[in-house]
Amino acid sequence: MKYAYYPGCVAKSSAPELYSSTALVAEKLGIELAEFTAASCCGAGVINEGDPFLNLALNARTFAMAEDMDLDILTICSTCQGVMNQVKRQLDKDSALFAKTNEALAKINMEYKGKVKIKHLLWALIEDLGLSKLEQQVVKPLKDLKIAPFYGCYLLRPAEALQFEDHDKPTSLEQLITILGGEPVHYEGETKCCGFPILFVQRETAFKMAVTYLNNAKQKDADFMVTPCPLCHISLDIYQAKASKQIQVNVDLPVMHLSQMVGLALGVETEKLGFSKHMVSMARVLHVL
Amino acid sequence: METKEAVFRVLRFNPERDEKPLYQTFHVKIDKRMTVLDALENIKHEQDASLTFRRSCRSGICGSCAMKINRLTKLACKTRAITEVNRHGEVLVEPMENMPLIRDLIADMAEFWREIERGTPWLIWDEKLAGSNKETLLTNEQQQISGKLADCIMCGACFSDCVSRVFDKNFTGPASLAKVHRFVADPRDTEGTKRVHGLVEMGLWSCTHCYFCWSQCPRDVRPVAAISELRALSFESLDPSQGARHVDAFMDSVKSGGMLSEASLYLKTMRWNMLRDFDLILKMAAKGKAPSPFPRAIQKIDEVRSLFRLAKEMKEK
Repeated sequence: MKYAYYPGCVAKSSAPELYSSTALVAEKLGIELAEFTAASCCGAGVINEGDPFLNLALNARTFAMAEDMDLDILTICSTCQGVMNQVKRQLDKDSALFAKTNEALAKINMEYKGKVKIKHLLWALIEDLGLSKLEQQVVKPLKDLKIAPFYGCYLLRPAEALQFEDHDKPTSLEQLITILGGEPVHYEGETKCCGFPILFVQRETAFKMAVTYLNNAKQKDADFMVTPCPLCHISLDIYQAKASKQIQVNVDLPVMHLSQMVGLALGVETEKLGFSKHMVSMARVLHVL
Repeated sequence: METKEAVFRVLRFNPERDEKPLYQTFHVKIDKRMTVLDALENIKHEQDASLTFRRSCRSGICGSCAMKINRLTKLACKTRAITEVNRHGEVLVEPMENMPLIRDLIADMAEFWREIERGTPWLIWDEKLAGSNKETLLTNEQQQISGKLADCIMCGACFSDCVSRVFDKNFTGPASLAKVHRFVADPRDTEGTKRVHGLVEMGLWSCTHCYFCWSQCPRDVRPVAAISELRALSFESLDPSQGARHVDAFMDSVKSGGMLSEASLYLKTMRWNMLRDFDLILKMAAKGKAPSPFPRAIQKIDEVRSLFRLAKEMKEK
């Protein structure tokens, strides 16, 4: 398994623990990550609001580079995956837009052919590696841990652009948690929004979203929450204490990146998974293990 | 046709009798063609005549029977019962959210209508502004945009499932903004892009792009895409709000380094408000995860800058 690896901006700045733990997990699983050196930011849906065509052109440039490498793109960020798959869908469905975008790319001697696929690590583990294969490599099952999956938005919606699983009743994270030996916990909010996209614009609303869903998971006795998106992690972990204080609901629920959870079960040394970089202490969880 | 018995768990509330809503379980024999609305009609006619819900056309056109079916808002007449049973094992039926409950499956849509009204949802045609243009021809492209938005049947599904509206009552909601865009995109409307000016107060920047409105709309109106378009227009007309500043700072950062600089995005968007997070920034720095304010540019950054320039030229053309 080899991918054109697109870690995204956040994994390379405020979530370095996601970047490093993904590298360790990939090594354990024999997944080769050919990281882009010249890819730009996906725009996170924000560039789309400043200049919709630029959003298409920037992402098509990234797609063209992956096609040159003859590899599919792997992301570890739900948002990057969501934005890229929406751009791809737009371009592949609209021949005029496809041509117009390629006209711009031609000026920098590039071409998007429409071949590339964009996958989140979660999907690659399920579709390409296969859960049974992953299960064989579990050496440290996450037993006695209740784990709250946080799907968030971009792995599920808009449903027609993704089609990986039923957005109405997703099960991918639940399946993953189960084969890693953990117990998935269901709660109101697992498919809702963490609030991050408006965190710097409508802070109180964003705080209320994060705290409500964290608290719902906690009320179901979750030991920790797991997220496939580093932007969700900013909202759910980095800002958790601040949000709790402002909304006056004490949460205190650790939040793990998907790669860290997989790494733990595969037996990667705990110290190497970057938990010390979390704002909400993971000590209780690691103690159970 | 093959039938099987399905469990319907239906929210019941009679304000004259009940202190709070309760769930009542019904068993209905369903076949593969039956909709959730058919099943509710069956319950009403054969099991409990007091069950109350809105319905009219039964064909997905009138928008009356929007309700929460297994926690997402859908038209009962467009939703097959068997699909729900296969997915969730039962059919949980509740009234729409973000609206007060009146009785059983009927929510009070007054707030929804008030929000639609906030957007002045009618064509404004000023003779003076229109000048000699007594007739306005729509291009195919224009018709496709405003026509798609005009497909809205006002069922309230997007409003009911809107995550921002739950926590922010000033956010006017997806349907209202989609309706505004319907007139902005209509060349006959002489207000046109001027309509964008009042939208910051209606919560233009409160949408999180959670995409529930896109996924749940029974007419594929895609309100979130309309909101993005309105934001782009607002941004172009020098909207001074924090939301527009966020877009501006984001674009600047990608143009200069290729990847997003979280630090500069944060500082330019938040300005003095960053003082509220000063303790957090220090903590992040101590843990070695405060984003650097001077990230290295990606390789071939010139290509990215060229695309910025080309996109701008294309827009001006």
